[in-house]
This record gives sequence, structure tokens and C-alpha cells, in this order.
Amino acid sequence: MEWVNAIVQGILTGGFYALFACGLSLMFGVMGIINLAHGDLAIIAAYVAIALIPTTHLPMVWAFVVIVPIFAVGGYVIQRTLLQASLDRSPFTTLLVTFGLSVIIENVLLEVFTANGQSITIGTLITKSFAVNSTITISYFSLTVLGVAIVVLGGIQLFLSRTSTGRLIRAVADDREAAQLVGANYRHVFGIAAAIAFATVALAGLSYGTLTEFVPTSGVTTLLFAFESVVIGGIGNVWGTLVGGVVLGVSQQIGAQINPAYQILAGNLVFLAVLAIRPRGLFGMRTA
Amino acid sequence: MALLELEEVTKHYGQLLVIDQVSFSIDEGALVGMVGPNGAGKTTLFGIVSGDVRPDAGRVVFDGVILNRLDPAARCRLGIGRTYQVPRPFGGMTVLENVLMAAQQGGRLRGRESHQAAAAVLERTGLVRVANRPAETLGLLERKRLEVARALATRPRLLLLDEVAGGLTDPEVAELLGVVRDVRTEGVAIIWIEHVVRALMDAVDRLVCLAGGRLVADGAPVAVLADPAVREVYLGTDVAVNAEAHQ
Repeated sequence: MEWVNAIVQGILTGGFYALFACGLSLMFGVMGIINLAHGDLAIIAAYVAIALIPTTHLPMVWAFVVIVPIFAVGGYVIQRTLLQASLDRSPFTTLLVTFGLSVIIENVLLEVFTANGQSITIGTLITKSFAVNSTITISYFSLTVLGVAIVVLGGIQLFLSRTSTGRLIRAVADDREAAQLVGANYRHVFGIAAAIAFATVALAGLSYGTLTEFVPTSGVTTLLFAFESVVIGGIGNVWGTLVGGVVLGVSQQIGAQINPAYQILAGNLVFLAVLAIRPRGLFGMRTA
Repeated sequence: MALLELEEVTKHYGQLLVIDQVSFSIDEGALVGMVGPNGAGKTTLFGIVSGDVRPDAGRVVFDGVILNRLDPAARCRLGIGRTYQVPRPFGGMTVLENVLMAAQQGGRLRGRESHQAAAAVLERTGLVRVANRPAETLGLLERKRLEVARALATRPRLLLLDEVAGGLTDPEVAELLGVVRDVRTEGVAIIWIEHVVRALMDAVDRLVCLAGGRLVADGAPVAVLADPAVREVYLGTDVAVNAEAHQ
């Protein structure tokens, strides 16, 4: 039964990984940007919650109502300025620029918030859980995060397939030149995609900061898990990202079940195995 | 007033001169054919007008607006539609979605209007039957039609057709010709690049010949094909015969 519990906990963690990964996947799929600052952006969201929300008298659980829109707007602005300017030079430049951004963010956070671990406190909500049986206990908060991940990913999927803006994003991702030729302003489309990516990373950062203690450099580790989820699931597939996150989460929990020291290792091994056997990921689309 | 004017346009790719001080103008509603051997610079010239290619020198003026600094999307919205020689549909989307997107972006239509416009374009280009199929499943003829449909959906005033008849059978060419004539009756100016010279001869009222990046002839189709410079370009062979050989 302990193994079943490991799988259940792995699925819950996987939901969080998927939430983290979907923005990364979207920015790579649409703009071809590998955002090395993705994890750090999430940590910013967590710090902003700690610094800002107490001044608004809003319950901490509702921090996302304020922070997600701020991130969406920020994402649009950063894409239209810094990221577009680096894209105009070369895709490689975006890698350097986002890496630089990551270093700057970490150091500013260190300067402002010190290296002491912090976490977002939502009171007793975080400890509430229900027992399925004597070994399996499910935390309401983790379950909520998994639910949010499913809703967010499903929402993105619906948005991309059913709305005209979603179609536009798909068209630009598919063939930027041809999209421009039929009148699409791809820079604006990139901005919209970045806004969605930043909004989701804010949600992920707030979940992360609530689930665990974080420091200014926590973004690096989380970025790795997001990367692994995207690669396992396959780039360009929304549901693939969810499966990728769950596969990673379950692998880690099973690894930990064997030996607590194997948690991260097990995830990395599964990641490498997928990369070696199926480089496009489990649900990856063929590259154009 | 001329709808499109090229003034001394020049383009190099590295050391290679592909467009050499080309100047010409197109009137509103004109149907102009463009011929020339491979590598003459025809597609590059289209790229310069549509915005995919930046000229090194010279000006491109459309309806009084200097285009040089505008990107392809802005040019499309001004009324320049273009097809690619090798069709580039958005593969994962349906035929209808492809056309709808063009109507909404380039055509600046919203909601019901955009759907009506897209439906009308599909009707006119004979794509209604395959409207809900993913574009990647289409055959060559239908892909070419979709390429034209998408350009038409942007509601162009100038349509640049790049070898839309290439690789098609005679009846297919005739059908496509019908579509082009139909479009023209609405006052849309058309520049049509084609290797199948015979297809052009039937339709256009002016022919320009490009060779080595230069404009070597410009005038009535019969006169242009009779021009010694044009015959020279086609390696001394009779152009009409050459056109037959292409079929």
C-alpha cells in the first residue's frame, strides 16, 4: 500500500510540475524561446505574495487574483521589449538574455529578501487533508493544485483550438512568415503567448511557495523539473505536459520509496530514458 | 494613378545580383503576367513587394504609401495579398480555419462578417467540400487553391500569384484561370508569375519578362513573346514551343 501511496503522491506532485511546465512549453512552442528565467519568475511571484499581499488585507489564498494579472501584463511587456529585441538578433541571444535575467533576478531577490528560507502561509488550510485509508492521505491543497493544473491546461487547450486568438497563436507557431503574409502581427501574438506563460508561472510560483520553503535560488531546481516535464511529455502538446509532469512526479516518489536519496535521481533517470528512447517525448508532435 | 510602383529596386544576395534596378508600375485592376527563366528574380521581386525580402536600394510604393519600412503583415493589411510557389498552409488547422484567419487578420473582419467572407472565398475557390479537413491532408491542387483562397480572404487590392498553375493538369489550370478572371472583375490588380506561358497568354493583358534580375520586355503579350530579347532569354527556342514542352 505504501507503493500505491507513492504513486498517488507522485500524481499530485506531477500536477504541480505540469502547472510549472506549461508556460515553458508554450514559450518554446510559439516563440522558440527557451526561457531560462522561467523558474526565477515563479519565485518572484512567491516573494511578491509575501511582500505585497499583507498590505492589501487580502487573505493569502487569494494572492493569485492580484498577482496573476500583474504577471500577465508583465509577460506581454517583457516579450514586446526585451525578448522581442533579443529574438530579432537570434534565437541564441534569447538563451543568453534569459540566462542573464535569471542571474539578475536571483541576485536582486537575495539583496532584498536575504537567503533565509520563507514560505507563503495560508494558515491551517495547508495542513488539511483526508485519509483514504491508513497509509494514503491526500492533502486538500495538493489536490487543489492538481485541479488547477488540469483546469489551466484544459483552458489553454480550448483557447488554442476554439478561439480566433488561439488559432492565430497556432498559425504563428506553425509558420511565422505565412502568418505575417495573411496580415498577422506576430509580435502581438508572441506578447499574448508570453502573457499566458507568465500568468501560469505565477500560479505555479504561488503553489510552490505555499507547498514548500523557498529561497532566492529555488528557481533553478524548479526550472529543471519543468524542463523534464516538457521533454517527457513532448513539446507542443498541452496534455503531454500534464502526463510529463505526472510521470516525473511518480518516478520521483517511487525513487524516494526505494530510498529517500533516490528521489531526484529517479526522476532524472526516467527523463534520460525518455530522451534516449523517444526524443520527441511521449506525445511530441513531429517537427515541421 | 498607378497602384504599385517599383522605382530602381535592387537586391543582392551576397555577391550575387538578383534584382538589378527594376522599375515598373501596375495600374488598378490590371492583370499582368510575369515570365522569365529560373533564377530570373521573379519570386524575389514578389518578396520585395510583399515584404519578405528587403531591397538594398530603390523604393516600393503602394497606393501612395512607401512600403520599404513596413513588415509583411502591415503590407497585407494595406491590401497586398500573396501566394507562395510551394503552398504553405497552416497544416494543423482546417481549410476553413486557414481562410478564416486570413479574413480576420489581413481582411480586418470580425465575427459573423469574417465567417461569411471565409465561406464566400471557399465557395469561389471550390474548397467548400474540404472546408473541415485539416489542411495537411490536401492534395496539390487543393493546396494551391487554398493558397489562393487565403490570399483572397485578406481582401487584397493587389494579388501576387506565384506559379499557382505549376504542376496542374490542363483542366485544372482552366478552372484556376476562371477563379483568377472572376477575382479580376472585382477590380483587384493581379501580377501572375507562371512558367506555363500558355496559361498566361490566354488571361493577361500585359506581360513583363525578367531575366538576370533585369526587366527585358514589357508590353502586350504577343509583342513581348515576339521580342528578340525575350527569345534570346529562352535560349533561342520558340517560347510557345517551350511552353508546350512544359505541359
